[in-house]
Amino acid sequence: MGDATTAVCNLGILDALGGDAVQEILESYAGFTSATESLLSGAGDLSVGSELVSYVHRLCKHQLHSLVRDHFLSSLEEVFERNGAARFWQHFESYRDVSLLEANRSHIYEEEVQQVLCKALEEISLEKQYEERCLFLLVDALQTFEDQVLPRKCGFVTEKELLLSKYQLMVSSVLMATLPSHFPEILRWYFKGRLEELNTVMAGESKDCYDKDDMDVDEKDKMPPKSGVMDIDGGHLHGERSDSKLVKNIGKVVRDLRGLGFTSMAEDAYASAIFLLLKAKVHDLAGDDFRTSVLESIKGWIQAVPLQFLHALLSYLGDSFNYDSPSSGLKSPLASRPPSYPGIDAPSEALVRWKLRLEYFAYETLQDLRIAKLFEIIVDYPESTPAIEDLKQCLEYTGQHSKLVESFISALRYRLLTAGASTNDILHQYVSTIKALRTIDTAGVFLEAVGEPIREYLRGRKDTIKCIVTMLTDGTGGNSNGTGNAGDSLLEELNREEENQENSALEDGFNTDDKQAWITAASWEPDPVEADPLKGSRNHRKVDILGMIVGIIGSKDQLVNEYRVMLAEKLLNKSDYDIESEIRTLELLKIHFGESSMQKCEIMLNDLIDSKRTNSNIKATIGQASQTSTVSEDSGISLDILDATIISSNFWPPIQEEALNLPGPVDQLLSDYSRRYTEIRTPRKLLWKKNLGTVKLELQFEDREVQFMVAPVHAAIIMQFQDQTSWTSKKLAAVIGLPVDVVNRKINFWISKGIIAETMDPESDDHMFTLVENTSDVNKNSGDGGSCEELLAGDEEGEGPVASVEDQLRKEMTIYEKFIMGMLTNFGSMALDRIHNTLKMFCVADPTYDKSLQQLQSFLSGLVSEEKLEVRDGMYSLKK
Amino acid sequence: MAAVNGQTEDRYQGNTPAVAPSPKQPLPAAKSVDTQSVLKRLQSELMALMMSGDPGISAFPEEDNIFCWKGTITGSKDTVFEGTEYKLSLAFPNDYPFKPPKVKFETACFHPNVDVYGNICLDILQDKWSSAYDVRTILLSIQSLLGEPNTSSPLNPQAAQLWSNQEEYRKMVEKLYKPPSAA
Repeated sequence: MGDATTAVCNLGILDALGGDAVQEILESYAGFTSATESLLSGAGDLSVGSELVSYVHRLCKHQLHSLVRDHFLSSLEEVFERNGAARFWQHFESYRDVSLLEANRSHIYEEEVQQVLCKALEEISLEKQYEERCLFLLVDALQTFEDQVLPRKCGFVTEKELLLSKYQLMVSSVLMATLPSHFPEILRWYFKGRLEELNTVMAGESKDCYDKDDMDVDEKDKMPPKSGVMDIDGGHLHGERSDSKLVKNIGKVVRDLRGLGFTSMAEDAYASAIFLLLKAKVHDLAGDDFRTSVLESIKGWIQAVPLQFLHALLSYLGDSFNYDSPSSGLKSPLASRPPSYPGIDAPSEALVRWKLRLEYFAYETLQDLRIAKLFEIIVDYPESTPAIEDLKQCLEYTGQHSKLVESFISALRYRLLTAGASTNDILHQYVSTIKALRTIDTAGVFLEAVGEPIREYLRGRKDTIKCIVTMLTDGTGGNSNGTGNAGDSLLEELNREEENQENSALEDGFNTDDKQAWITAASWEPDPVEADPLKGSRNHRKVDILGMIVGIIGSKDQLVNEYRVMLAEKLLNKSDYDIESEIRTLELLKIHFGESSMQKCEIMLNDLIDSKRTNSNIKATIGQASQTSTVSEDSGISLDILDATIISSNFWPPIQEEALNLPGPVDQLLSDYSRRYTEIRTPRKLLWKKNLGTVKLELQFEDREVQFMVAPVHAAIIMQFQDQTSWTSKKLAAVIGLPVDVVNRKINFWISKGIIAETMDPESDDHMFTLVENTSDVNKNSGDGGSCEELLAGDEEGEGPVASVEDQLRKEMTIYEKFIMGMLTNFGSMALDRIHNTLKMFCVADPTYDKSLQQLQSFLSGLVSEEKLEVRDGMYSLKK
Repeated sequence: MAAVNGQTEDRYQGNTPAVAPSPKQPLPAAKSVDTQSVLKRLQSELMALMMSGDPGISAFPEEDNIFCWKGTITGSKDTVFEGTEYKLSLAFPNDYPFKPPKVKFETACFHPNVDVYGNICLDILQDKWSSAYDVRTILLSIQSLLGEPNTSSPLNPQAAQLWSNQEEYRKMVEKLYKPPSAA
């Protein structure tokens, strides 16, 4: 405005100027410049002020305001650049190397930097103040002139403000232009040091005011604002008193920096220092201990240290900055605070914003920390529950679930799903994962994503089903190596399932109630955004550990089948009829898998119960029989020592047959038993599976007695040595009725026990087995006689009495092979789909065709490689 | 020691009556009950046939209809039909096995008891039928009929005449034989 008009006037006036005037102007301008120079360089000496004023007045007469202003400002700039900025930066010259700064973290050095910064700031501020005073002098001069000449409306307030802001701008631009790159670093470093100092002071204090803190938080809502001083915490007041000096120091630095135009840089510096400290604190508190919850203490710390610091800082700056109204300014009432609390000194908006920022940062840091360690956390799952709770809260706040999923999956891939991990461990971890993630995300959405790689991997392992079944059934901790634990939990899960079912039954009854329906409706929550809509809504996605375990295998039938095989093995190896635990397990499984699928297993258990009864019935007949008829010719062996398990073989898994000649007396005993059985339960007859069961025997030697629990084969072998102490393997095999190699293998059991010695017979080129009568004959390197613990050590190669599931599968597949050959003979060539469908349609009798298309395909390609089939353009046909 | 009770199946069916009831409720019409039993019978015949593994005979139901089967017979060794393969179709009536299935040659067969349309003159497929026969026995009978025709009541007189001259007959079979293409 005024500026522009004068500039225009000047041009017109210049032409009209006379020589005198020019002379005057030149003189006064020379005077003005020298006065300016002496004023600005004359440190603190304002005596030339009056001179300056007169020159200014004279120049202004000739409308040369702008010239005066510009010159004054430019010489100010020059002086500031020389005196202020250059000297200011000089202070920090020696700290140019920031890395050195980091390395040399000695306290003295830190102190030094701190002092230098304070000193430099003080100096430059003084300089600035002085220059400001000079500026005011000029302003005064201009003002007095204008007052004399024409009192214009647009007064000098604008003039003054304009000049001040111009000056301010000049100062910051000079500083910025000459800013050395390491200055922000120094600032950050300074704030870090200060905060750490503050932290240690607070830490000492917070110990005794923690209880107070908690109390205050509790009472905050209940107590009306009687205290009304500071709403945040008692701790604040407390802290402010003792650290006010420290905070004031920092406040001063911040204010000085602001004055120099470093507002944002200062803010950046202390913000980053606070975040750094917070991060360090979180890492320090969280550590690798997952057994305690750290979230609360982190929050407490935020409240106690950084927020207090900020509070003090903001209020200090607020006081010193708002000249006119120190009380209003930053302190605006919060939205969340009911406005009906007049007179409360509410925490300032800035402070609340800081609080939210800090908390979010803390949550995020903790979350990242926990997510990175999630694998370990889940490994010690039940103990690490607090850490998981923490993580849950963090995730609720930050919503970065996908981060968790990603990082956890990669951890799984890297650490768990490798060839080195045992299937049991993987399953154990899987169960823990399910349990742990269930707390984090009840809907199971993320679990779905995380579980998938594990499931996929487990499907590729052959022993998965077996391990699962073992986990399910071995609740008593049969395996000592840690798997008992997982088994425990799975069995527990079965139990829980049972309870849940009861509960849900109850709930169903209540659900008709309108009230209940309301409650259910009110507690509805939408699925997380990441939920896969294909996987159904949350009601269907209830997290159920057993369901997820079964989901690995795909169908419960396979699981049930494997269980049946295992159960059969277990039952056949029982020497008593005690099946309490099996019955219990079966009942639990029935609840989960349904009665019908467990029917065969139930029959197996019933067989055992029946066997017990039948057995005792048969034993009862002995008493009567021996009185009446002639039984006791069985060479001293009585029926008392025989317990039979009578099974309905149709319902048992296929049992491996092995022809075995039992020693005469035992065989006689068996036929006697079956005769009695037929008497009781005509027309039924017993078919003995002579290779199954256990034999408890006692071997008497010259010098010792040894007891064993062995398989019938072993008993049959050793019994042959009763009458004849040495056998060649061929003869022995003939007597026992087994192939030679089997006998050689089985007899290893006795050799390892030191009861039989093996030699080579040079004549017949055959193995020679001799009974070792006297232990002193051989060096006692295997002397562990006299115990029954070596239970059933016979099945070295793991060939159980029951055909394994794989064997069954192979058998089933041969039936399918015949069907496939049959249909291809008659239809020429067929596509995979058609074969699959035809099998589904017509292969319905036992065993029903239940394979997937993939399974069929791999089976067919097996047949192709056996050269039974050929495949061309996806059409299978017989190999001609 | 474990033992097997050979007859427990009956017992358990008695003991657990509630187990695995047929998902389909018994339909009111007696006819459909029959269909069920025919279906069962054909299924078990298929199973028996597949498991028997008799050489040179085979049959399998068509895509979705278990009442229509395709059969395959190869000529027995040391007969004029050695090395040939014939396709058959078998259509089972709804009251099978009380009525015989209709069996026809699908590939042309130069044989005294087979006409140009593939119809077969075989007593067990007509008046001598008994429900004790099954797919397997039918196929075996037809296979043996190839080598031992009944020339006294021929459907193909030319073939019947030529039968006495086995060498010529063999040439004729080879001349007329078209290996069945993939269905």
